[in-house]
Amino acid sequence: MTNDDIIESLVNRVKKKDKIALARLITIVENEPEKATKIFKHFENINHDSYIIGLTGSPGVGKSTLTGAIAQKMLDEGKTIGIISVDPTSPFSGGAFLGDRVRMTNICLHPNVFMRSLASRGYQGGISRAVFDISMLYEAFGMDIIIIETVGVGQAEFDVYNLVYTVVVILVPGYGDVIQMQKAGIIEIGDIYDVNKKDLGGEDIAVQIEMMLDDTIFQSGYRPPVVLTDAISGEGIDELLQCIWDHKEHVELSGNINEKKKNRFSYKIKELLFTKVEKLIMENFVDENEVTNIVKSALEDGKFNIYSSIHKIFDKITLEIKKNS
Amino acid sequence: MSEKKIRVLMSKPGIDGHWRGGIVVSRAIRDAGMELIFGGFQNAKQIVESAIQEDVDVLGLSIHSGAHFAYTKQVIDLLKEKGVFNDILILVGGVIPAQDFTKLKEMGVANIYGPGSMTNDIVEFIKTHLKK
Repeated sequence: MTNDDIIESLVNRVKKKDKIALARLITIVENEPEKATKIFKHFENINHDSYIIGLTGSPGVGKSTLTGAIAQKMLDEGKTIGIISVDPTSPFSGGAFLGDRVRMTNICLHPNVFMRSLASRGYQGGISRAVFDISMLYEAFGMDIIIIETVGVGQAEFDVYNLVYTVVVILVPGYGDVIQMQKAGIIEIGDIYDVNKKDLGGEDIAVQIEMMLDDTIFQSGYRPPVVLTDAISGEGIDELLQCIWDHKEHVELSGNINEKKKNRFSYKIKELLFTKVEKLIMENFVDENEVTNIVKSALEDGKFNIYSSIHKIFDKITLEIKKNS
Repeated sequence: MSEKKIRVLMSKPGIDGHWRGGIVVSRAIRDAGMELIFGGFQNAKQIVESAIQEDVDVLGLSIHSGAHFAYTKQVIDLLKEKGVFNDILILVGGVIPAQDFTKLKEMGVANIYGPGSMTNDIVEFIKTHLKK
């Protein structure tokens, strides 16, 4: 079989709900993203009806355990679920230790769930480049719900916001004071705030979040709720799930879902364009040896100026692009 | 950024509480640039379902309970039933008596690593014996 035949046969198997084939296609889009065009050509009409939820928060706040807990409830309600959990790739070895599945053993064997662990593979923003393509594969598979669990994030990794319709920001007792709550970034993007590990306290954090929300204007009329949970004992999970369904209803009834879908696709289109343009320029116009040499000679003559060195290279690239166009 | 990464699932069939061996080997696999999915305690069905959904190249079973024949057989039978046995390299580690190695290999285990094994050897074996 040629590569194209293999892809076509995998797509046909996915259409018949074959999980082995789904797993293989995920591997292909992850390892060889250039093949995504071919794959999605075979899925003529993906209706993008899956509802996509993102769970994000710092390392160790309980994202995976919460994912397992809410997925269990959703499965009980008869939903089909696709889960994507991302953990970081080592900048040193390129390897990764993916420890999310181990928190979701409870749902592993349910026929209506598919769960995939991903390494970030150098992608910034708390997710991996493959997350979008995999969510499209889940849509093609006909999942009702897709849950994207980010890498354990800090304050500024909020790309998941662009890929989902409901964002759950998870915090734990001891997160911080009023100043932390005023900072831009991750704390702004929640549609729902969950204070997990409530057995350790957390009421003060809930109040801090409410006070932060008091200072925010919600033009849509939707104010994010704050929920306290203990993912391991299951306390608060029903409330959290209700908040998710409430937000889903708000997003769908207000028509906001169309904006979110538009945002999701334009985010990916921009990323694809940037990647292609970067590759085109790096391959055709940038000689890495030349960069090394310029830096080397600049350092040797003792008058190293990083900006003039960069301009030297950049001017040359601009000139060549002009010559070629 | 696009490149093939070797994916490995490390599981502990049964509930013997000896995690350190599996963790040490997992760490070595991570440091060798592979993607290690840590399965923890799982039964045979959960191990095979995880291996399928994660589309792994290698399955590591860490067993310290003495029940290595029973667990390994369950896992291998299920892998065959699902039609993925020929795609996945199976390694067993833990307190396995040397006289049991041959039988495990006959069952379909590619290699066995007892106490004192070198993590470098495990990494090297994986790199040179992948099935797909």
